[in-house]
Amino acid sequence: MTAPQRKPGPNITPEAAGLIETYFARVHGAMLVSAAGEAAETVDELRAHVMDELARTDGSPAAVSRILGELGPPEALAAEYGGADGPVPGAAPQDAADPRRLHGRILGVPYELRMPTTARIASRWWNPLDPHVFVPRVFGLGWDINFGALAVKLGMVRPDDEDEPFATVPRGWMMAALAVPMALSAAVAALLALYAAAWPASVPVQWSAAGEPQSFWPRIAVIVYLLAMSVLPALGAASSYARRRPPLNRAAGAAGATLLATIALAQLVQTILTLGGTPGMWPTWVGLSTAILLPFAMLTVLSRIGRAREQRRDLNGTRKKEPAR
Amino acid sequence: MTTEADGRISQFRKGAVELAILALLHHGEAYGGEIVEALASHPGLAISAGTVYPLLSRLRKAGVIDSLWRESPVGPPRKYYRLTPEGSAEFEAMAKAWEGVAGAMDTLLNKEIVR
Repeated sequence: MTAPQRKPGPNITPEAAGLIETYFARVHGAMLVSAAGEAAETVDELRAHVMDELARTDGSPAAVSRILGELGPPEALAAEYGGADGPVPGAAPQDAADPRRLHGRILGVPYELRMPTTARIASRWWNPLDPHVFVPRVFGLGWDINFGALAVKLGMVRPDDEDEPFATVPRGWMMAALAVPMALSAAVAALLALYAAAWPASVPVQWSAAGEPQSFWPRIAVIVYLLAMSVLPALGAASSYARRRPPLNRAAGAAGATLLATIALAQLVQTILTLGGTPGMWPTWVGLSTAILLPFAMLTVLSRIGRAREQRRDLNGTRKKEPAR
Repeated sequence: MTTEADGRISQFRKGAVELAILALLHHGEAYGGEIVEALASHPGLAISAGTVYPLLSRLRKAGVIDSLWRESPVGPPRKYYRLTPEGSAEFEAMAKAWEGVAGAMDTLLNKEIVR
């Protein structure tokens, strides 16, 4: 783009000229932040527009204020050129890898390096409004499962079944959801108490597909790892209940804790059987399947309970007598 | 067509779809599937359930529409949406603004601009 040729300026007062200079200094400054490559040309173009408009006036400060007022605040005008509300037109696509960005895509694979928050975890794992079953991972590289979209695709819920996810689920059912990871964690702790004392100094932590141990950790490390993977998420979920987090966060917290506690329990059972001389990998396969199915079932059941409550509220409530279609 | 151009078209469609939903509900309440079906019958809007349901949720949170479960004569209960009084006022204002924009765009797109 070529900057327009500057026309002879209209006859304006020094005060009006000062207003124009101040205005465009602010536009230029803001554009250096939002769209640096275009700043000089854009300011020239806008200034030419203002001078054209001024040529049809008496050039007074009032006329300048009116014309500049039509352009809007300088920073907002600069933002229109690409800073505040989106990329500069023609800029690289949002998913281009950029080391300064903590989330985005690399070769089409999403990455997320921001610290996970319960709100983000919840909205990724249960969002029936989003038709995508695989959504960018809460933390790391790859995808997580959006159980809400999966439930919609399987016809178990509809996208708009609940106004607010899990908001109308009775407290008893929400507590029952929390009880699942608590019970699984208790099972992990109980099995460790029963078996870990008799374990050798090194304990298998990785197996081949045929069930042959491939790598070992010190016994105490395995105990700490399994307890941390089961108990800490369950305590985190309990904490979100105690702090009265939004229902979606609480339900997702319980589901996430269930997933991790199930994996920990499966690994523990696999370890116990391996050390007891029982071949096979069935505890791992059963555990991994259950680790996906159990949170999915938990969230779907809670959502259906919430939907039933909403239906009872509307169909049995004061608005019941309105004609049905 | 370039990705950039696709993005721009998608942007102005999004604005239009919100008004389209309000226009549908201005004629009477409707359930989600009905809204999706009615809008999908207008290929120019290029609309899908994945666009409509989040928009319905956003409009409901904004108080522009509200929802209500009703018995269905042919199956399980359905959640119906309708305009709130604020939504009706917003629809009137948006429709009026749209007429102005559409008229101007028709002129620009169909007639030679006299400088």
